[in-house]
Amino acid sequence: MSLLAYGLITGIVFGFFLQKGQVLRYDKQVGALRLLDFTIVKFMLSSVIVSMVGIYLLLDMGLIELDIKSASLGANILGGLIFGIGWALVGYCPATGVGALGEGRYDAAFGLVGMLVGAAVYAEVYPVLKGTVLTWGNLGKITLHGILGLNHWVVIIVLIVLFVGLFRWFEKKNL
Amino acid sequence: MNIFTQRSWSPYVAGALAGLLLVLSVLATGKYFGASTTFVRSAGLIEQVFVPDRVQSMDYFVKTKVKIDWQWMFVFGVLFGSLIAARMGRDFKATPVPPMWEAAFGPNSAKRWTTAFLGGIILMFGARLAGG
Repeated sequence: MSLLAYGLITGIVFGFFLQKGQVLRYDKQVGALRLLDFTIVKFMLSSVIVSMVGIYLLLDMGLIELDIKSASLGANILGGLIFGIGWALVGYCPATGVGALGEGRYDAAFGLVGMLVGAAVYAEVYPVLKGTVLTWGNLGKITLHGILGLNHWVVIIVLIVLFVGLFRWFEKKNL
Repeated sequence: MNIFTQRSWSPYVAGALAGLLLVLSVLATGKYFGASTTFVRSAGLIEQVFVPDRVQSMDYFVKTKVKIDWQWMFVFGVLFGSLIAARMGRDFKATPVPPMWEAAFGPNSAKRWTTAFLGGIILMFGARLAGG
């Protein structure tokens, strides 16, 4: 099977899970930003728990490779702040915007067109950013367990305990 | 009760299944999930129709490679996966303005759509800057 076919099928299944998890909704995404409804956080952290265990198991078995992106403080912090402003206005992130359109939320289409424009604008100013913001505080391909000098399973177990504690708190508070 | 026609699943279950899907994807093809690079490639594909020489000379489009790839098909697939799930669960509904928005800002759809469009520009600029 071709790589493109794998992409399509994986996307269809992922979109199916996103829809069933009810995370393709403005009300759920902005609801999380307003600390009223943590459905999307439950979905994301459950996904992180399963994937970090699975990925590191396969890595330890030598079956896969990691794809770590470089940490660049200037770009990550500034970009993250700008992304947050935009996300709160759109109410959908890129993948969930596409999914939201699939379940009939067509305000997402305007957000998606905006995202295309945003990508085009970024491509225009990239030459300026390349020599400035993108070079600030570049830490390279770092990992949490690498910085802490711990075995990766220690970090994974601590994170699972923290996430499950958070889930229990969400359920207790009906969030 | 058939799980496919069930209107919704627990977000914990749906999220865990999405995590499992990621692991299988990495095992089968080495591909991790992402979406925002697809917007750069799509912007490049659209611009290419009008100014092909310019797109070929721009650093960012050269670096990102303007083409249909695994991730492009993945993002395209999400649209259909969501549509199928919504149809099967009788949860598909054409909605011009989200309920929470309407409660705060009223039913005017032009206001909502303009905000979504402008927010989209800001969001994607930030995402690309942050490297996501």
